[in-house]
Amino acid sequence: MATLASTRPAHVPEEHLGDFNLMDDPSMLPRPNGEPHAAIAKLLDGPPVFYSLNNTRNGEGAWFVIRAEDQRRVLQDGETFSSNRNIFASALGETWPTIPLELDPPEHGKWRSLLNPPLSPRRVMNLEPFVRQRAVELIDEIKARGNSCEVMSEFAFPFAVSIFLQFLGIPNDRLMEFVGWANDLLHSTPEARTKAARTVIAYLDDLQELRRREPTDDFMSFVTQAEVDGRKLTQHEVKQMSVLLFIAGLDTVAAALGFDFLYLARNLDDQALLRAEPQRLTLAAEELMRAFPTVTPVRRATRDVELHGRLIKAGDLVACPSMTANRDPAEFPEPEKIDLAREDNRHVAFAYGPHRCLGSHLARREVVIGLEEFLARVPEFRIKEGVDPIVNGGFVFGVENLVLTWN
Amino acid sequence: MKIIVDGAKCQGNARCWAQDNEMFNLDDEGYLPSQTIVVPDTPEKQLAARRAVRACPERALALEE
Repeated sequence: MATLASTRPAHVPEEHLGDFNLMDDPSMLPRPNGEPHAAIAKLLDGPPVFYSLNNTRNGEGAWFVIRAEDQRRVLQDGETFSSNRNIFASALGETWPTIPLELDPPEHGKWRSLLNPPLSPRRVMNLEPFVRQRAVELIDEIKARGNSCEVMSEFAFPFAVSIFLQFLGIPNDRLMEFVGWANDLLHSTPEARTKAARTVIAYLDDLQELRRREPTDDFMSFVTQAEVDGRKLTQHEVKQMSVLLFIAGLDTVAAALGFDFLYLARNLDDQALLRAEPQRLTLAAEELMRAFPTVTPVRRATRDVELHGRLIKAGDLVACPSMTANRDPAEFPEPEKIDLAREDNRHVAFAYGPHRCLGSHLARREVVIGLEEFLARVPEFRIKEGVDPIVNGGFVFGVENLVLTWN
Repeated sequence: MKIIVDGAKCQGNARCWAQDNEMFNLDDEGYLPSQTIVVPDTPEKQLAARRAVRACPERALALEE
């Protein structure tokens, strides 16, 4: 596989190559006080489309599509730009798509129609009391321990994981086990990843069996009882869906919260404003998602397409970093400015097109409620002196070692 | 003032609904079907309508004055 990394495909001329890539560009690696969003936004000064080598775990190259308008075109056209990549299954040496993310239209649509209602903006309101309760419990535990916390491991991660567990129907006493598996799956060696993936699948399979026999009112019961095309779902299909919920809902929400805490710990005026006027949080959270999005959707072209004079051939990967679209001056006035009262904020933190993040409405409420309760219960917080938060770029941007302290 | 909704472009971002959950009445899946919405003739509704059009990431809404 390593040979792919060093080889420029024959249809890509030298002048269409760029030297940025997500895997090993220095600005994407974990660094103390790193600023990967600012670094990747510099691509807006260069060509709108370029090819770069070595952009996946197995060394494949990819086209980068930088501007918002072009990303909209790519991500809205699921027939030309396929998302069928079997990424989770590949960690197991298997080949199957997660549902619905790795299915293409028109097959995608019927699964999405099944899953949209329980995650619609109205329905996620029903989860809010639980979300708030979990936030308050975790914050109270933190305060009982003292006037400082590592906010990722003590709040953001367990908060996101416990809401996922509740949604799916898993008792909260398994929380720390799931946090560990999630960590191995997302941040560990290939061997640990595979082991964690198998553990998670075995657990979800058991839960599925249980809910088939004795349904309750949770998501796993819903999918085991649901019908698509006039028939019940197979055991494999339920696995394809529940695994996706597990990987999609953890790192992303935790990372978004992490960047918000990092910003507020460094910008005390904004922190004071949101503490005094919490009704501003809904808009402010949108602006922070615009400024610090975490994911880069990647698609595979199903036919030859020309974009800005570049030939994207059938089979090529196409990467759409949300960070560049979200700082595109053609889309946002003064994109470098973080304005917590920004209106009309059509950011792409949740992607464009048919694969728009299914959990986006729940994620939004988790972030707003998490910040609301934290600001209401913890006085002015800063980054602990002498402790540098570690910020990483790559496929999912994130922050670690974010130690907050307060009086 | 009217808003023309292109339901084929709507992906359920619900940014219009966040502006005004009466004028933009999402279906059970959280999407807005193709339709023409007549915007009530009040400053609040017209401001919400303009913002909703600008806030749609998919550009599924068009304003007609």
